[in-house]
Amino acid sequence: MDNEQVLPDEPGDKSLSRAWQESLSHLKSVYRDEAETIVADARYGFISGLMHDVLKKPAIERLMLSDKIDRVVLNRWLGIPLFLAILYGVFQFTFVLSGPFMDWIDEGFGWLAGPAAGISPAWFGSLIADGIIGGVGAVLVFVPVIFLLFIALSILEDSGYLARAAFVMDRLMHRIGLHGRSFVPMMLGFGCNVPAIMATRTIENPKDRLVTILVNPMMSCGARLPVYVLFAAAFFTAYQGLVVFSMYAMGIVLAILLAWLFRKRLVRGESGHFVMELPPYRLPTITGVVIHMWERGRVFLIRAGTIIFSIVVLVWLLNYVGALEPIGRAIAPIFSSAGFGQWQAAVTLIFGILAKEVVVGTFGVLFTGVEELGGLGSVIGFELGWTPLIAFAFMAMSLIYVPCMAVIAIVKRETNSWRWTGFVIGYTLVLGWIVATLIYQIGRLFT
Amino acid sequence: MVVKSLDELKSGEKGKIVRVRGKGSVHRRIIDMGVVTGTEVEMQRVAPLGDPIEIKVKGYCLTLRKEEASNIYVEVS
Repeated sequence: MDNEQVLPDEPGDKSLSRAWQESLSHLKSVYRDEAETIVADARYGFISGLMHDVLKKPAIERLMLSDKIDRVVLNRWLGIPLFLAILYGVFQFTFVLSGPFMDWIDEGFGWLAGPAAGISPAWFGSLIADGIIGGVGAVLVFVPVIFLLFIALSILEDSGYLARAAFVMDRLMHRIGLHGRSFVPMMLGFGCNVPAIMATRTIENPKDRLVTILVNPMMSCGARLPVYVLFAAAFFTAYQGLVVFSMYAMGIVLAILLAWLFRKRLVRGESGHFVMELPPYRLPTITGVVIHMWERGRVFLIRAGTIIFSIVVLVWLLNYVGALEPIGRAIAPIFSSAGFGQWQAAVTLIFGILAKEVVVGTFGVLFTGVEELGGLGSVIGFELGWTPLIAFAFMAMSLIYVPCMAVIAIVKRETNSWRWTGFVIGYTLVLGWIVATLIYQIGRLFT
Repeated sequence: MVVKSLDELKSGEKGKIVRVRGKGSVHRRIIDMGVVTGTEVEMQRVAPLGDPIEIKVKGYCLTLRKEEASNIYVEVS
């Protein structure tokens, strides 16, 4: 509808074109307004005259109830606290409820992989157990969180609250070049960037939506937390909470700066308008919510699933032929400027692309031979000679560099462009390196 | 009779639209939503952070940013 013109295009024929221009300027001189407005006014005038004659309107009760609810929900003082409370509720619903399901799926696949690993020949058993079962497991483990989140979002959307949330947050988001509807996806990123990026579908303007997708990986997801906790506990005993919090804060600041920068340099053009209806509140129907949830969840399973699966098999292959340590050694020198130029660190960063929490497990395997975490942080400090400063730089790197393969897959799916997907991989790598190096180099001046 | 731009109305104030200025897609969108000369509007509220605003036109609730509303002139009743 947005591109539909009120007036037709200027006619190509010369004499017609002159007549066209003349009547345009005539209209303008008489009404002192754009021809487009005059035509639209005349149309609406006709429509409302007709409606007046033929239509009797009953008082709409739902609208009055909506008014009453909005007096509280959009209240000057209550609006923002209520919005944050509802957001918190969505979080709890999604991430707490999905926890046990994710554990079951994880355990289920672990249980399947055990006997599969015994199949001979050994390479085939390993392909089945670590490659295929591990790969499918890595995809399916996201299913509960995605489906639950979409149930919550569908309820918010169908009830009419999502439009109001955008109304409440628009000023803040508009200031950094985004749209009110960008806020919810950004917050969801704290849980998991995959459903967060899928939630950008509620943003109508394609440019606003693209920038929201591009900066979303800066929101520190739940899988990064184990990495922070490991190093914060080992290196910052007294200030653990503060150090973990600083990672979240760094992500938010980077997201704001990047959104502003991208909007200014990369994805220029008008931001979406805010001329939209606040629909009256409705009780969501179960069928509606289930359909919404299924439509969105299905997309993740099919498209993201295939990409994630192939990456897992690729990494398995590299590992199986013994290529990981040489690759780690080849990459490691790049990070010596940030203090963690050891090949073990490079290998964990590579594995971290599978899923961020894998960074912890990989350190475990490299240093203790088991995925046991007790005292692991101090072992890493001892073996690699890391200082708290290096640990902090490494945490920053873990936050920023390539989110994880599931996010990469979903960025590809949602932008439908390998170019933007490549851009996300590229900018997060470079930015992670820059920030980690800055932390290490500047920090060294003071210690 | 006082003519104000729509973003200057206080909540609860009503009036009749006398002019809709502007060009381009936002302008077209505003017109499409029924905000045209002669229409009655009522200011509902301003968002908690001070922008956008919510108005009532033609029996439904519409939101728009102050920047967009400043092009709409209303004869306050």
